[in-house]
Amino acid sequence: MTAAAYGNLFSILWPESILEIVSLVILVVDLGWMRGETTATRMRVASLLGSIGAVLSFAWLEMHVGIASVMGGALVSSPTVVAAQSCILILTTLVLLLGLSVRFTRNPGEYVALVLLATTGMMLVAAARDLLIIFVALEMLSLSLYVLAAFAKDSAASAEAALKYYLFGGMSAAFMLFGFSYLYGLTGTTSLSAIAASLAIAPLTPLALVALVLAAVGLGFKVAAVPFHLWAPDTYLGAPAPVAALIASGSKVASFAVLIAVTAALVPAWGWTATLLCMAAASIVLGNLSALVQSSVRRILACSAIAHAGYMLLGIAAHTLAGDQSVMTYAVTYALTTVGAFGVVAIVERSAGSDRLDAFAGLSARSPLLAATLLVFLLSLAGIPPLVGFWVKFQMFAAVLRAPLASGWGLGLVMLAIAGSAVSLYYYLQVLKRAYVTPAVISAPLKVTRLELFLLVAIAVAVVLLGIFPDMLMQWIPAV
Amino acid sequence: MTALQMATIASPDSASVAWIVRSLWLIPAVPMAAAGLIALLPQPRRRPAAMLAVGSLAVSFLLAVTAFAHVLLHWSSGAATRETVSVDWLSLGSSTLQMGWVLDPLAAIMLVMVTFVGSLIFIYSIGYMSHDENFTRFFCFLALFAGGMLGVLIANSLLLLFMCWEIVGLTSYLLIGFWYQKPSAAAAAKKAFLTTRVGDIFFLLGMVWLFAQTGTLLFYNHGAGAMEPAALAVLLSQHAAWGLSAAGAIGLLIFAGAAGKSGQLPLHVWLPDAMEGPTPVSALIHAATMVAAGVYLVARVYPLMSAGAGAGTTTVPLTVVAWIGATTALFGALVAVAQFDIKRILAYSTVSQLGYMMVGLATGGVAVGMFHLITHAFFKALLFLGAGSVIHGCHEEQDIRRMGGLRSDMPLTFATYTVGMLALSGFPILFSGFWSKDAIVGAAHHWPVSQGPFWMLLIGALLTAFYMMRQVGYVFLGRWRGHGHAHESAAVMTVPLAVLAFFAMALGLLGTPAWPWFTAFLESRPLAFDFAGFGEPGLLPLMAATSLLVLLALGVGWRLYVTKANDSDADPDVLQTASPTVFRWLESRLYFDELYGATFLRAYALCAAFAAWLDRRLWGGLVALVADGFQALGQWNKSVDGQWIDGGFDKGCEELTTAGGVLAWLQTGRAPGYLRTLALGLLLLLLGLMVVASTLGQVKL
Repeated sequence: MTAAAYGNLFSILWPESILEIVSLVILVVDLGWMRGETTATRMRVASLLGSIGAVLSFAWLEMHVGIASVMGGALVSSPTVVAAQSCILILTTLVLLLGLSVRFTRNPGEYVALVLLATTGMMLVAAARDLLIIFVALEMLSLSLYVLAAFAKDSAASAEAALKYYLFGGMSAAFMLFGFSYLYGLTGTTSLSAIAASLAIAPLTPLALVALVLAAVGLGFKVAAVPFHLWAPDTYLGAPAPVAALIASGSKVASFAVLIAVTAALVPAWGWTATLLCMAAASIVLGNLSALVQSSVRRILACSAIAHAGYMLLGIAAHTLAGDQSVMTYAVTYALTTVGAFGVVAIVERSAGSDRLDAFAGLSARSPLLAATLLVFLLSLAGIPPLVGFWVKFQMFAAVLRAPLASGWGLGLVMLAIAGSAVSLYYYLQVLKRAYVTPAVISAPLKVTRLELFLLVAIAVAVVLLGIFPDMLMQWIPAV
Repeated sequence: MTALQMATIASPDSASVAWIVRSLWLIPAVPMAAAGLIALLPQPRRRPAAMLAVGSLAVSFLLAVTAFAHVLLHWSSGAATRETVSVDWLSLGSSTLQMGWVLDPLAAIMLVMVTFVGSLIFIYSIGYMSHDENFTRFFCFLALFAGGMLGVLIANSLLLLFMCWEIVGLTSYLLIGFWYQKPSAAAAAKKAFLTTRVGDIFFLLGMVWLFAQTGTLLFYNHGAGAMEPAALAVLLSQHAAWGLSAAGAIGLLIFAGAAGKSGQLPLHVWLPDAMEGPTPVSALIHAATMVAAGVYLVARVYPLMSAGAGAGTTTVPLTVVAWIGATTALFGALVAVAQFDIKRILAYSTVSQLGYMMVGLATGGVAVGMFHLITHAFFKALLFLGAGSVIHGCHEEQDIRRMGGLRSDMPLTFATYTVGMLALSGFPILFSGFWSKDAIVGAAHHWPVSQGPFWMLLIGALLTAFYMMRQVGYVFLGRWRGHGHAHESAAVMTVPLAVLAFFAMALGLLGTPAWPWFTAFLESRPLAFDFAGFGEPGLLPLMAATSLLVLLALGVGWRLYVTKANDSDADPDVLQTASPTVFRWLESRLYFDELYGATFLRAYALCAAFAAWLDRRLWGGLVALVADGFQALGQWNKSVDGQWIDGGFDKGCEELTTAGGVLAWLQTGRAPGYLRTLALGLLLLLLGLMVVASTLGQVKL
């Protein structure tokens, strides 16, 4: 790594830089000119500015699709990376806009600025191909999210969620860094490609196994895979709805993107696939089972997130081009659907003051369109055709079954995953049953702003359309 | 003439195919789409339903005229007049099933006829059905029928044709049984559906056979189609049973389908009963278009039917067609003489005229048969609509004995009906029926195989004029014998009558021997006006003879039914008094239905009874035994199920939920516990991997 490369950094870091600048601008605007305005106005202005920043960044990305790398391959840009980053930006925009009328903070400028910082972290994570950069980017992301999770300062649950998230995250980050240092010690390099080359020829030592498992802790924490998942239900439950949506969506996309890259480096070592598979199987079983008894929709979404992480880990462990592509499409569509589901949850919460299953009773009578979008989201999560959730699941399981690496375990684990999805239908339908069958406790129509409804319907339409025309997705996220 | 000279086969590239040929599918698609839309309309929306149906057919008509003009243009410029568009439909192993459409003179002229007559009848139906509560349903079926029929016409694949053919059969069923609350209508619908199905089975067999032999169901496909010389040569060289070639056998099978649809003996029994449907349906489906589909089918597969015929010889299928056609023509005319239901007379007349068309196809070629099809479509639609107008005016009365003298009450209907009647009778020179029927009789006269059909047709012609005179005498002349007061129908019904009447006369001009436009167009030959056409040997004497016959029959009819008209509806028919037995036989339609009832249906009923007996006694006992056994097993099962399986499942579900509960309990919410779990998980993972790795020898500890 030489100092001369700093000038080149900008050649691929413009999108991140734009976000940074915009976040500073937001702080200035919000704490400067907007100080006298109401919180709602400030929220609107800040979110709008944040969305503009994300759109600008998105535009730059889409105009510069290509293959580039700086700092000796520590940071790269390729069509796949750009697709992941674009998706993260879209998700951030959706989260910002859907969070417009969620009241949880008196400091909107700081909230939006932190969201943008977290987004920057996500984008860096997706692009990083060097252990150190990965760690720094992950920490940048995590630290922003810790603060964001605590942002509802009046709410004890929010503080609790943030604290648990922070403690858990801090500890796993420590483990991961420890593991990374072993890896560096074993291979003498922090570059993923060099590590791959080195591991491929070196014999497996117990130390290497330790390094692998330790590295898996940090990444497993980010994707909420068992046994590093315990923070998820509490954090999803306590964090403000937009923040929970961000944790569940953009952060997941970024983490899976980097997990794919790390897998490419570590898969030559024997234990990595096994580690992934253990985590995957445990996640599928535990995630789906613990979702069965939840009475809070946010916790259901958290437990289902664990299960989905398990499915995706299978795709990652298969380690083929098609498998990686299917994991990315899965992560992207899962994130999109989850943002939509959290949007609905936030609206219901605003009216009922709780996200318990009962709060959803009679949703279809109170707001038919909203209930319809929820139907689309949850059925897509459950993998019902023709929604996109079915298609990506099918694509990923097919890729796993075809993978040469998966000849020993593919069929068994895919069957486990399919059984898990069957179980998952139960708890998704529990929510939908409340929405469609149970009579409403409160019969007043739900207050939904036009923007929220428009965004949710747009997401639902996208979920349906992508399911019918999956080629659009495959073209957007190329297999390389 | 042996085979149709299909010398001009187009082989255009797909890019050079004209817009109208590429868009030909729109012609059936538009009415079908309209049918779908009408089906979505609520029952009381009458206006939009009628507008949609009529509008869609009008659009189809315009497209059909464009297509017709396109073919006409190609013909006059000497270019190829047959153009096809094929699309891959589905793959069966290595072979691909194609379907597509064809535009040639045959299709073009039929398209124009069906859309034009159809439009008129649609308009007429607005008036005729105005009081019906299921108005929208009626137009939905009608539009669907039009779509199916037009699909039959443009199909370039036997399979596509068959599918549209079945749509047409379905709508025919639905429309015959349109007043399903009448038991007779429901029975008639069922009868029509089942009888035509008998023919369709043979048709399907023929189709499958054809596909097995040639590997294609396309009629024309730039030399690779089933109706083109290469495939025909293959078919001719294959031998089926009884000295028939495969071509002959397939031709016969397909003709069986055509016979079912076109009411040829012995599958004619459904057509007269089909008159239970609303009169516009009778006019459109059971006179002008659908029943002609059989004739059209024979014309379409004519190269197959005539394959192997040389000069002065013919083929087995065509011989069969000729004889069946002639028998049907004579039979229909005979039975029509002794009917009293105004629509049944027309129905038998249709049966008879379809026989003429078949003979025309078999002895004279496509053009001769098709010309009669076209002229017949117009004047028979006219007659049916006229009959509908009469029925409407006489308050749903259909028995001609209870009519009479309507010429003064319904002058417009009378005038147009007379035109139709004269056209059907083949009144010389002025009317289209004369030219088309005369061409058939002439062709039969020159048939090398036998003169039998010729004489049968002559007698048929005589009878046709006679029964039509009888009908007109009963209905319009003489004295009013009914109850109440008859009234003329509304303009929406009479205007279509007038239009049809015009064509019933004018169309004859297209097929005179001096200017055989129709034949020339259909066979894509140059056309010239030449009076020498009348100079063919034997033509003029034959024309004179048939004219004399027709005039004679009309005269006899006039004498029997106009000068000596009955005064009361109770009076017997003149023929009835003259020869009660013969009349009773004819009135009872030669006991065909009874014959079928006594043979096929009886045999079928016997089989059914036997099967029922077997079922009850033999199988029933066995089944009861098995059932008892299974019941015992079931009881046992039930206890096992209740005790073990259900319990097990419940237990399993409980366990699942409990497991979830335990996992949720793990989720204590206490942060130190979480961190402990994290460390524990890490250690377990590591330990497990170590153990596995060392057992597998992957790593040395």
